[in-house]
Amino acid sequence: MGGPLTLLWAGAACAGGAMALLRLSWGRPKRSVALNGAAWALLLAGLALGAAGAGAWGVAVVTLVALTGAFLCLGHAGMMARPGKAAASNRRVHMLPQGREPLRLGGRLLTFALTVPGAMAVALIVSLAVRAASEGMGEANGNVLTLFLMPVLWALLATLLLLWPQRRRQMTLLLLPALGAGALWGMLS
Amino acid sequence: MSQMMSRTLVQRGLSAHAAIGLLASTLLYIVCLTGSVTVFYEEWQRIEQPDAPEMARIAPEAVQAGIAHVLAAEKGRKATGHLYVHLPTDALPRTTVTTDHQAVHLDERGDVAGRELNGWSEFLLNLHYTLNIPGIVGLTLVGGLGVMMIALSLTGVIAHPRIFRDAFRLRARDRGGIGLADWHNRLGVWTLPFALAVALTGAMIGLATVNGYGLARSFYKGDLEAAYAPIFGAEGRPDPKAAPLADVATALRVMAGRFPDARPSYVILHEPGTAGQQVQILALHQRRLIYGENYMFDRAGRYRGHAGLSDGAAGQQVAASAYNLHFGNYGGLAVKIAYALLGTALTVVIATGTSIWLGKRERRGYRQPRLRQGWNAIVWGTGVALALTLLARRCIGNEAPYMAIFWAALALMLAVSVALPERYRVRRALQIALAACLTALFPAMLLPG
Repeated sequence: MGGPLTLLWAGAACAGGAMALLRLSWGRPKRSVALNGAAWALLLAGLALGAAGAGAWGVAVVTLVALTGAFLCLGHAGMMARPGKAAASNRRVHMLPQGREPLRLGGRLLTFALTVPGAMAVALIVSLAVRAASEGMGEANGNVLTLFLMPVLWALLATLLLLWPQRRRQMTLLLLPALGAGALWGMLS
Repeated sequence: MSQMMSRTLVQRGLSAHAAIGLLASTLLYIVCLTGSVTVFYEEWQRIEQPDAPEMARIAPEAVQAGIAHVLAAEKGRKATGHLYVHLPTDALPRTTVTTDHQAVHLDERGDVAGRELNGWSEFLLNLHYTLNIPGIVGLTLVGGLGVMMIALSLTGVIAHPRIFRDAFRLRARDRGGIGLADWHNRLGVWTLPFALAVALTGAMIGLATVNGYGLARSFYKGDLEAAYAPIFGAEGRPDPKAAPLADVATALRVMAGRFPDARPSYVILHEPGTAGQQVQILALHQRRLIYGENYMFDRAGRYRGHAGLSDGAAGQQVAASAYNLHFGNYGGLAVKIAYALLGTALTVVIATGTSIWLGKRERRGYRQPRLRQGWNAIVWGTGVALALTLLARRCIGNEAPYMAIFWAALALMLAVSVALPERYRVRRALQIALAACLTALFPAMLLPG
């Protein structure tokens, strides 16, 4: 067995062990900082060994081992669980009107317009401005940064827009980055 | 005060989670389900056409001869712009030549052995990639669904402050909504790293055209190819003057001598039979996430350099790793099985999400049987419709109208489910239909002929 493979196997073993330790720690009535810390440290060590053995490929494989371990623990927990009679949550999420509440269709459509096409356009504008400002990092790196940054920014904007339902805040959240990106373009050109 | 703020944040997080989920759940469900099945894309092709010639390797001379045979058969037709030769790999040990006009398998000697018949696998891949919507629209829509999946992951964590502490608490046998919520939350938390990885890479792939146009317009005078060239390498200058066929065999021999650790998986011939033709060999690198490295050769088979996906700028390596990380084809069958199981878990998370929302409304006294029946039709009907296309592949053949069968069957099941009164148990009927389709499928796919 060669060096990289040994590191990879050790990383996989650490990841599996980390999941077992997490299961033990989170199953206790009280949280144990020491056990939790040991589990997370073991997981990090596993990922580091995977990276040392086979780079990003090693990290991906060790992560899959960790997730498989977690699902095995979860399956065991599910099989051991006894039927209970706890009441399920009835928390309202305000997606549809109840009783005689108005539908507010216009407001819903506006929220969609801001969150989907609006946030997408702003994310694209900001990503392109970042690309323009990152000339020094190389053409390939700059272009790839744009390809990844745009979906991340869109997801973040969509999340924040929905967490802040006030229209003025939502408009500010979209206008500020768009104007900032515009100003950056202006300064660079 | 801070507790109140945190409670407000949790409530808003839950509302945001539900809003995105309800907006995107139907399409996201179809994309996740088809993604879990598409993991076995190569294996499906082998099942579809079990009698195609297979080989561990093919000699460079046989590849050269195969290309010549295929181009000779296309004389008199419009010259193909590109010619692709899929070389035998562990997952798909077949040699297949694809041009603008046809796709054929080669045998070990390089003779044409017959047409490639993988219509269903292509339909499945297309359904996952674009929801069968042609052009930039479908790809962008699916990319947008990837973005929504990232936002769902973020809002899901915000909405459930105890989600990590309860990560191993699965009250699988509880009824009245608890069991369903536990399945949703536990599978959700343990698929989180996987969901974020496939959602981000999927969003990047799906939105690459829109972003590419943005880059091209802003920095490359509208030239889309120029925007991608720094990442994946540029194509040579076309020269349409007629010339002898490029020496692919020499290029493959040079490859084997110069890069013995890289395993060629594709030969791409740009503008074959012209003075500007160029040979590109895509080669796999062991224990790397990148989908391969592009090695360039001139028409005499002389090495001209490589794109840098394996050792170039960090951005190039990251971009080249996105595809394998998304499709799970970087570690053989074991990784594929893990991806299929994690993908199935993610599909269950999406299915249970809308069911939980419906259940909460019902417990508050707001019953919506049509919505419930409609959701059941999506959850169980998508599987039935997909299984029907596979049955059509077997009964009608490669040219079966998969797209029409899938969407018509799903629309019909949805319409009937929504129209039927509540006393008809739609979910049970669809579950039985799915079980019957799967039972019919196994012998149908495994039996020869």
